[in-house]
Formats: sequence, C-alpha cells, structure tokens
Amino acid sequence: MGPVRAGLYPDTVPLVATFRLQGSKVLAVDMSGDAVKAKNGSMVAYDGQMAFKKMTGGGEGIRGMVTRRLTGEQMTVMEVKGHGTCWFADRASEINLVSLQGDKLYVESSNLLCTDGGLRTGTSFTGLRGASQGNGLFTTTVEGHGQAAIMSDGPAVVLRVSPQYPLSVDPGAYIAHQGNVRQSFQSGVTFRTVMGEGGGEAFQIRFEGDGLVYVQPSERNTIAGDV
Amino acid sequence: MSAYGAPGPVIHDPMTLPSDDNVNAYTFCVELKGSQWFLQKGKMIAYYGSIDFNGIGHGRLDRLVRTSFHSPLHASDWVVAEGQGKMLLADRAFDVNSYDLENGNLTIRSGNLLAFQPTLALKQSIVPGFLTLIGTGKFVAASNGPVVFMEPPIRVDPQALVGWADCPSPCHHYDHGYMTGLMGGLRALTGVGGASGEEHQFEFVGAGTVLLQSTETLMADQATGAVPHEAGVPGGHGVSGHQGQHGQQPGVPRLPGQLGDLQRRFGL
Repeated sequence: MGPVRAGLYPDTVPLVATFRLQGSKVLAVDMSGDAVKAKNGSMVAYDGQMAFKKMTGGGEGIRGMVTRRLTGEQMTVMEVKGHGTCWFADRASEINLVSLQGDKLYVESSNLLCTDGGLRTGTSFTGLRGASQGNGLFTTTVEGHGQAAIMSDGPAVVLRVSPQYPLSVDPGAYIAHQGNVRQSFQSGVTFRTVMGEGGGEAFQIRFEGDGLVYVQPSERNTIAGDV
Repeated sequence: MSAYGAPGPVIHDPMTLPSDDNVNAYTFCVELKGSQWFLQKGKMIAYYGSIDFNGIGHGRLDRLVRTSFHSPLHASDWVVAEGQGKMLLADRAFDVNSYDLENGNLTIRSGNLLAFQPTLALKQSIVPGFLTLIGTGKFVAASNGPVVFMEPPIRVDPQALVGWADCPSPCHHYDHGYMTGLMGGLRALTGVGGASGEEHQFEFVGAGTVLLQSTETLMADQATGAVPHEAGVPGGHGVSGHQGQHGQQPGVPRLPGQLGDLQRRFGL
C-alpha cells in the first residue's frame, strides 16, 4: 500500500520530481529517489536507475480499484521510482503541464499521462457533461501539490474562467479543467435541430467561477457533433 | 494569479485572446461584435460571451444566405455564428490560417475551408470538389502542415494543392516523355520498373498565387453540393472529386502506379 501512503502525506514528501517538456510531445521527469505515476507503457526511455511497478486500479487501493471498475473510468497506471531521468510519450499526443497548488484537476483518464507521486487521484461524477462527450459519466480527479501532465490532440489552449467571463466549450474539445469552477450543460436544441437544420453546436459545457479550462484544437466524435 | 504556476503554458482570457488572429498554429480566434461569421459545422471549440449558432436554414438569415451563399445544397454543412464575444475555431488539430481577400477571388479545396466572413460570397467552383470565395473579407482555412504560397508558372502535386487565388489557369500535366510506349504504359500501370508516383501534376500558368500544404495527406472532402445535371457541367453526373468518369469507379482509391487514366492511351 505504498502509493496510498505517499498520497496521504503529500507535504511530508520532500522530494519532488521535476517535469519538463522536451519538444511538445515528450515529457522528461527528473527524479531523485521519488516516484511518479504514469500511464502504463508510456515510458519511452530512461537514464539512471528506475523501477517500474504496475499499480492495480490506478494505485488508489482496493476502494479506488472497485470504484474505477464500477464507473468504467479505468486507468492502468504504473509507478516509476528511481534516480535519473525518465521520458514519457504516448502516440505522439501533445503534452501539457499542469501545476497544482492544492486545487483539483478534473481530466479524463485517457488524457492523463503522468502525475507527481504526491498527488492523489480519484474519480468523480460528471453527469450529463461526460455523457455528451462520449466518455462516460465519470471523470478522474487529481488533487494536491505537484505537477501533472495531460495529453491532447494538438496543443491545448488554456482558457481562464472568471466570474465576469464565463466560458462555453464544445464537449468534444474539452480535455480538463482545474480550480473552483461550476459547470453546467447548455443545450441549444430547438425544433430546428429536429428538422435537421441545427446549428451544429447544439451542446456546450458552460464553465462559471474561477479556474482554468484546457481545450484541444480538435473534436472527438460525440453524439453532439452532428446535430 | 500566479497560483496556477508560472512555468506552465500561456493562459488566455478574453482580454489576451487575439482578435481575428491565430492563438497558436492550430487554433484561430474570431472576435464577434454583433457581426456574423459563417463556419463549418462543429469547428467551434470554445467561446466567451454570448454567441448564437444557427443553421443556415434559420429564417432571419435567409437574406444573408441569398447574398453570400450560392451553393444551396451545401448550405446544411454551414452555421452562422452571431453575437458578442470571442470564439475559438479549430479543425482536427490541423494547421489553421486566416487569409484576407480584397476584392479578389480564391478557389479552395472544399475540405480545407473552415470559416469566412459574410462579406465574402461562397460559390461552387467549376472544378469539382473546390469552392470559390469572391469579394472582400477574411476567411480561415485548415491545412495539413503549414501553407506555402507559390507564384505560377508552377506544377504541383495534386495532393498538396490547397487552392489558388486570382486567375492562374489550373490544368493537368502528365510526363508523357517518360510514360510513352508499351514499356512506359506498363510502368505506369504496375509501378514496376520505376514509376516515381510523380508523373501526374497540376499545372498553373497565369498571374496569381497557388497555395500548397506541406504534406501530401489530403484532408477529407466536404460535400460541395450537387451541380445541375446538364450537358457541359463538369461533374454534372453527380460525380464529385476527380474527373472520374472513365476507367475508374468514383470513390475507388487510385492504385499505386496507376496514372490518371493514362493507361487507356496505351491500350492497357
């Protein structure tokens, strides 16, 4: 249960792996005895002494494992620990660094590449938004202090949401958000949509509050894409 | 707000987003101030402010459609965005770029056009699979890799062609010298013995500009709408895309080494 313990005391872990991007599609992590959690099989190279350990159920213990199985938000994760540098990449996806200072990052498990060992991951219910994206009703949360790397199809644009500037996002282009943000589901479905003359942007997620939203310059196929 | 970490990526808000310019190579930001833009369905990825998206069939927009849309059968693929705010456009992580036309014209492959101002008129080109924009205004186009501008006379690879502006005359060009005789025909048909795959090009002559993308991977075609079934109308038999009536079934991919319909000339 090592990883769980590490997650419980994020502030007592003095060693923090440093994340840096090498190009935009490769993540390099410098480690000195500390650990990171990364998507299974995403290591492309390493330098120094590294140990790779598969973590069943996302390294969240029995409860997390069961939750993930139940919610369908599965994530195969490995723990990488050692001294040296480890490089990660996944299908030439663009990688974006996110630094967390006690706030929570919401990201689809398929878009999460690597998190600092000190960050807690979990699952959360997203409701209709998840359904509209075709990603299921649940999403992954990352919480604590440290860095995480998320993947996108094309470099992500980071958009700030503030009380005076709410943001609407196409469900297919949304990848992640962080901070204190409320999201609601916006539907522009009218009788015209039914008539086949819809605006093509029938569903949007509206973000209000204070935080950041990560949007990729590409749209996944969603049921909303055609109406 | 340094809470979100300085080393991270650039964080945009409505103040820092550019107006009618690229955010990065793959994302374009349009500022709407009560004005309108035409965009292809599903290319909006996010917006600030209050923007309405309406299908072209929307009653109030009829007049707009009459003035700037001239391929009615194609209209259902387009959306009018109107309102106040800033809107981000992107297309499957392809490069996007904006172009200004001043009382000019530009013909573009249908799959590449993303959005345009209603001050431009969109028409079907006589060349099947292409659209022509006429007038003054800005439009946004996607390409597989950055776009290169070339001056005619030039011969280009068919897959790399994005479009052309002003009036160079586009025509086919075959390297006959290499591909004549029985052996040449065999080479062309089978690819055995040295078909380079570059024996067929598009040739442009005249004054104007030719736009090329930097890869030979085509972007998926958008339907440009059918043309009237009339004698003398290219593609008038409902065939869009290539010149395609002879030899080749429409929609069947061309085999490597198979040249245009050149092999017919050798009786093969």
